[in-house]
Amino acid sequence: MLYLSQAIGRPVRDKLGEPIGTVADLIVAIGDRYPPVTGIVVKTNGREIFLQWQAVASLDAAGATLQTTAIDISKFHQRPNEIRLKRDLMDRQIVDIDGRKVVRVNDLRLDEVDGALHLVAVDVGASGLLRRLGIEGPWRTLAHGFHRDVPERYIDWEDVDPLERTIASVKLRVPHKGLAELHPADLATIMDQLSRNDRVGLISSLDDEAAADAIGEMEPETQVDILEDLEPERAADILEEMDPDEAADLVADLSDESRVEILGLMEKDEADEVQELMTYGEDTAGGIMTTEFVAVPASLTAAQTIDRLRELEPDAETIYYVYVTDDDGKLVGVLSLRDLIVAKPSTCIATFMYGEPVVVHTDAGQEEVTDIVARYNLLAVPVVDADGRLEGIVTVDDAIDTLLPHPARIRIPRLFGRGSGAPDR
Amino acid sequence: MGVLGPGLVSGFADNDAGGITTYSVAGAKFGYELLWVLLISQIVLFFTQEVGARLGLATGQGLAGLVRERYGVRWASFMISAMLVANLGSIVAEFAGCGAAVTVMGYPSWLGALIAAVVVVVLLTRGSYKWVQYIFVAVGICVSIAYFVSAILAHPDWGLTASSLVVPRLESNSAYWVAVVATVGTTITPWGQAFIQSYVADKRLGPEDLVGERIDVGFGALLTNVIALFIVVACAAAVYSARITVDTNSPQAVGQIANALRPLAGAGATYLFAIGLLAASFLGLGVVPLTSAYAACEAFGWETGVDWRLREAPAFYGLMIFFVVFAAIFILLVPKDSLIQVMLTAQIVNCLLLPFVLVFVMRLASNRELMGPLTSGRLLNAVGWIGTGLLVVLSMVLLVTSFVSV
Repeated sequence: MLYLSQAIGRPVRDKLGEPIGTVADLIVAIGDRYPPVTGIVVKTNGREIFLQWQAVASLDAAGATLQTTAIDISKFHQRPNEIRLKRDLMDRQIVDIDGRKVVRVNDLRLDEVDGALHLVAVDVGASGLLRRLGIEGPWRTLAHGFHRDVPERYIDWEDVDPLERTIASVKLRVPHKGLAELHPADLATIMDQLSRNDRVGLISSLDDEAAADAIGEMEPETQVDILEDLEPERAADILEEMDPDEAADLVADLSDESRVEILGLMEKDEADEVQELMTYGEDTAGGIMTTEFVAVPASLTAAQTIDRLRELEPDAETIYYVYVTDDDGKLVGVLSLRDLIVAKPSTCIATFMYGEPVVVHTDAGQEEVTDIVARYNLLAVPVVDADGRLEGIVTVDDAIDTLLPHPARIRIPRLFGRGSGAPDR
Repeated sequence: MGVLGPGLVSGFADNDAGGITTYSVAGAKFGYELLWVLLISQIVLFFTQEVGARLGLATGQGLAGLVRERYGVRWASFMISAMLVANLGSIVAEFAGCGAAVTVMGYPSWLGALIAAVVVVVLLTRGSYKWVQYIFVAVGICVSIAYFVSAILAHPDWGLTASSLVVPRLESNSAYWVAVVATVGTTITPWGQAFIQSYVADKRLGPEDLVGERIDVGFGALLTNVIALFIVVACAAAVYSARITVDTNSPQAVGQIANALRPLAGAGATYLFAIGLLAASFLGLGVVPLTSAYAACEAFGWETGVDWRLREAPAFYGLMIFFVVFAAIFILLVPKDSLIQVMLTAQIVNCLLLPFVLVFVMRLASNRELMGPLTSGRLLNAVGWIGTGLLVVLSMVLLVTSFVSV
């Protein structure tokens, strides 16, 4: 095991033990689980030369020894997947995927794996910091005197995600594989800690759906910031993937210029839906409802309705309720998923649907909606216009948002970050 | 409008307890003679804040983080430790300011320190950030109004004010030059540099906000020095012209000056002066611990920049509370005579640190790879280095004189 900081600055000797320079950096090829060391940068006479790893006989805290006496520098080409550990990773910020936070690299840990030296972990603990400052030994002695341990913390390279900015110098596309698998809420938490450029870089690497889910979990101000930083086409694609009610809230907060541009780039259906939702007041049932619900005509049988559900399900926000509408789109009844499943497949739904559903009007206040959802123990409440036509539904999660003080958490460590920025820009 | 803020709050916060004490003493001791220094420090402040803001805009990172990435962990650790020591001294000075202000109002000074400590800790650990920001701006406006009115009440000689502002007066006595250096040094500070950059970065402003940010910084720098001007002329008119002598080596100097306003400008001016001092100390008490904890966490990769709860961010809150509580206990226990030593020490550390910080800032800002289109142009670079050179010289002067006086 070797820490990068222990190798940097150590002498490099040739086969005969003659000093030829010092270790300036190590090169690894990223992409594998543990990136193998592929080269060494040697500082000699004030300039840097690159050597293939094959030329190195040994490397440890005492320095490096080469296989040869003559240095052949002609063969080295830095390949596109290679990074320099000291220049590109040391002291930089990386994402700790498991811990869902952005941390700083104190040191890098290298280990022999299958006979070759690999980058295996990132040291983010106090011991790494002390080692870099050259006071790890004395500090340990001191800590020992007080019967305390020096906290050590390593993150396996597999659970680490380097940021775009960090390694921008090598024009490498970071796949962000680990991040893409996180829950959207966790991804949003991480995204919140990144600078603007890193955030845009990260979003660019996600697919539209993952990006939409993550953005959906963020604070409104952050959503607006991110969307305005993205290419308008990409922003439009991501908005199409979001729930229309969320998309509408977000679009309403954009600057006039971006709003027109992005709406113009969205597919017509989606854009129309978003624009319609935007006409309702923000704090009314119309403003918080979603238009993605399941509505069927009263003439269907239970089996046909279940088939219809299978068709529509991917987009609908909830399928626990199926709404029944007449030819004019007026709400005439509601079915629960349970009703549908226990009914005989051939029964007409009109015979067992609940004919007097609880509804709210599009202009009902948010509190009224919350009140009704709570009083009737609903998972969603249908929203109708003045003529009784079904316009959308408010799901329980959107309804209870109003009960929580927003933001529900204490926030401080960001120096003035939030709340003062985007909307009025 | 979204851009306005960082420069403005930074400008307000520059006039903390230390600043007001320095300006009051300058006015009381040298009358209108030091006003030209304000014009120069105004210009230098604008350029240093502009570079800091530009760094934040281009990199999205705070100063401490950038220094760590570009100059390594040792430089970053040196900068942070020096800043923490200096800032601890500044926080002690803020408490002394609170104490002096409440004494003028007729209450015991420990009461002021205690209330300020409790309010600041509660605000910073429990308050929502939106509120903290509004409160900072409101307090800043309150300080501005208080000193504007005190200056008017003191009936200064506005003609002399105008001419002293543009005509430098070069004297040979050393106390005069110490006051010159102190006036510049209290305006341009290491923490102010860290503050503006983190603020800009955390507000997620970007290269497209450059023009707005420059206006903001210009406005903030102007405001800082206009307030300083009001303080100096108020003291010049009421204290210096009336030939009242003040023991400027006492931490209560500013309180004595406030009381000295009474005969000429009326009790109203005295109270306004004290209220301004209280508000400014309070603002400093909020901003300085925050900036310190923020910079340390940023450089060492602890939990910054997130809406962590108290329990999730022990290092950040721990540092912040430590600063406030330590300084509060210090001020209550340490005799007043030693207090001035602590503030002097803080000033010396600040002086030592400032050249390093400015050289880092200037070098980072002319790095094209890092800054892209926001890299300092030839003119900005030249002006920046001249300003930096000037401050390095001033810092050395203050350092030498501080050692002589200690």
